[in-house]
Amino acid sequence: MTSKPFSPDLLARCISCGFCLPACPTYALTKKEESSPRGRITLMRAVQDGQLHINETIAESSFCLGCRACEPVCPAGVEYGTLLEEWREAAWVGRKRPLIAKALLFAVSKQWRVRLLGILSRHGRQAPTEVNLMLGCFERALYPKMAATVAKLAPTISTPPKQGCCGALHAHNGELALGEEMAKQLGKQLPGTIVTTAGGCAAHLAGVLGRDRVREFSQWYLEQASGEFQINGRRARVTYQDSCHLRNGLGVANEPRMLIAKVADFVELPGASSCCGAAGSYSLLQRNRSREILDQKIKQIEALDVDFVATTNPGCTRQLANGLKKRKSKVAVIHVAELLARSR
Amino acid sequence: MSLIEEVKQRFTDQADDSLATLAAYSRDATPEFAGRPDIVVSARSTEDVVAAVILARKYGAPLIARGGGSNLCAATVPISGGIVLTLNEMNAIKEISTSELLAVVEPGVTTVQLDSAVAEKGLLFPPDPGSRTVSTIGGNIATNAGGLRGLKYGVTRNYVLGLEVVLGTGEVIRTGSRLVKDVAGYDLTRLITGSEGTLGVITEATVALRPRPATSAYGVAYFDSLSQCSHAVEAIVSAGILPATLEFLDNVCIRSVEEYAHLGLDLSAGALLLFGDDGDEYSTKTNVDLMAQLCRNSIGCRGVTLASNVAEAEALLEARRCSLPSLARLGTLSILEDIAVPRPMLAEAVRRIQGIAAAESVVIGTFGHAGDGNLHPTIVVNADDASAVAAAHRALEQLFGIALELKGTITGEHGVGSAKLPFLEARLGSEQISLLSRIKQAFDPDGILNPGRLGS
Repeated sequence: MTSKPFSPDLLARCISCGFCLPACPTYALTKKEESSPRGRITLMRAVQDGQLHINETIAESSFCLGCRACEPVCPAGVEYGTLLEEWREAAWVGRKRPLIAKALLFAVSKQWRVRLLGILSRHGRQAPTEVNLMLGCFERALYPKMAATVAKLAPTISTPPKQGCCGALHAHNGELALGEEMAKQLGKQLPGTIVTTAGGCAAHLAGVLGRDRVREFSQWYLEQASGEFQINGRRARVTYQDSCHLRNGLGVANEPRMLIAKVADFVELPGASSCCGAAGSYSLLQRNRSREILDQKIKQIEALDVDFVATTNPGCTRQLANGLKKRKSKVAVIHVAELLARSR
Repeated sequence: MSLIEEVKQRFTDQADDSLATLAAYSRDATPEFAGRPDIVVSARSTEDVVAAVILARKYGAPLIARGGGSNLCAATVPISGGIVLTLNEMNAIKEISTSELLAVVEPGVTTVQLDSAVAEKGLLFPPDPGSRTVSTIGGNIATNAGGLRGLKYGVTRNYVLGLEVVLGTGEVIRTGSRLVKDVAGYDLTRLITGSEGTLGVITEATVALRPRPATSAYGVAYFDSLSQCSHAVEAIVSAGILPATLEFLDNVCIRSVEEYAHLGLDLSAGALLLFGDDGDEYSTKTNVDLMAQLCRNSIGCRGVTLASNVAEAEALLEARRCSLPSLARLGTLSILEDIAVPRPMLAEAVRRIQGIAAAESVVIGTFGHAGDGNLHPTIVVNADDASAVAAAHRALEQLFGIALELKGTITGEHGVGSAKLPFLEARLGSEQISLLSRIKQAFDPDGILNPGRLGS
């Protein structure tokens, strides 16, 4: 075990005021201090000072969603997301990394494997230009039509086939240095502005490459949106679930809402800023916890009487679709880009 | 059987002694204080609390009741181990009575949860400590928490009608009632309010409410110096206005808050006064306009602006509540103090605090509730600079000295806890200290409830 896993400056920033507690989905679930951002930082400090062995903290490091909802509400400016990455890097060494996480990281750590995940469609066979679309690794496999959807909306955007994984998954699962290196590689493969339909990737890429290089799709497309999104011959009612990292990491929360409101009747979802439980690999690593959080979310969505819930990240799309299907809901999930492509 | 074994047997999944849990509960929001509990128990009912107290008594183990853990005086740090009893799961709002203007709640309800619930019925729970999103009603009562509306509305003690309390003997008593007037017996409700968990564990509270004011309005005035700002405060109160809000920030605070909240504050001003009132539209406007005028006429006033809408006013208040964490950006150790002085002494107190900062070469950011004479000088240094930390502690002692010399107090609203206990006798005198310990003896003969604090 490394003796000092955490950057002292980042750790010192927290004054334990507890303002983060009401924003934390896992604290809401357990009401236990160690499941709150403040409590987790207390654990990190105990590890840093040698008072607690890091192995004692593995369970909590895994239980955290990594949604970073604690960051915007922190007046002291604690960079919790970075601390969490450092924590997992130190705690999830070798055998202690959850098996599923290992499998996920294996799948995306080589470019050819990423390409196997989803053979990019013909829209994805273009040379890089000034504005390039970057697709999330699992997005390619789960939602293979995304490239075509974006190409239809914005013909000027290019989707080069030669793009690896951005490394967000690695950084969030205890491979900090590798995650950063992968983002840098991707930055070279996709010169100019990188537009992405995966909010989680956007935040990680922007963190490494700088905010000026990265645009989440709704942010980039806002001005151009037009038409009306209809269902059964009427204007559709649509709500929106925030992508945590897009909101808390990149600060993009208004754009998707404004975009939806342009083409449909927008209904705010109470608690939209709170995680749906997908949280990257979390829905696979912590199935039961993830479901508990999802159940509450689905109830809130169902109470709204909407036709669709829109998302900006493939992980959220998959999670919400599973939850709504299980409850046989009439509400459907739709990515913001898809919603625009279907507007006339 | 040992304490741990017996607690686990009684509480099963409500008890936890894993090393991570014990570490997480080893501190609260107070810097420089830590202590590891032996076990953490989450109470779900009054019966649970009684059982925990009886077990603690049987083994002579300390029992520390804990709510949001946002107190700033180390009142909930388990300095001598024992059971940390959390009350966060007891968070039901049992009743809101609009005809009696009261609510009956369990101790783990947060301040914001209660105020939002009563707001739906057109009512207000006035005490609003800066940590209101985290702080629980049980904790507010145990520390007699104040807030930003103290001048007009008073503090927590003014809103506690009755309590259900588990004593150190395991007996359950109900103090007070649902009545505004009730003088049957000693006022134990007031005694337990502010007793920091040393006399009993609060398991239910009946709190008074007020009609929610129809409107509110706020403004900001800038001054060349904090003392000039203090004179404006005196002018306002002397003019017969009792506003809901009179908060001030010095230049150090203005700059830190601006860095977090980006409100476009005047960074070159020596002090900022946030003033506001609530009530019906006419009197609110009249009072706020008059306060603006009094500020403008005050010496050293650089300008006054009125908030044009609710969102703008909310942002100002929120920024004020975030003063402390914002200040923390300036260093790795921030020690927040909480002295209070009679209002006419405010300018003098501010002058002397600045003197200390200069003499000890430490950064002291001062903000506070100007209307209440309650100041929060916050000393910010780097934790790994030993000489700076020593200077901070010297400054701290001098702050308490100032408060007492000016006929004020060592803590206005945060509590004594472990942090201010060494200075309590200077404030109360030895006779009163010994009376405190005799009172403690009556409530908690074995001294198991939060030992080492107040009456010990």
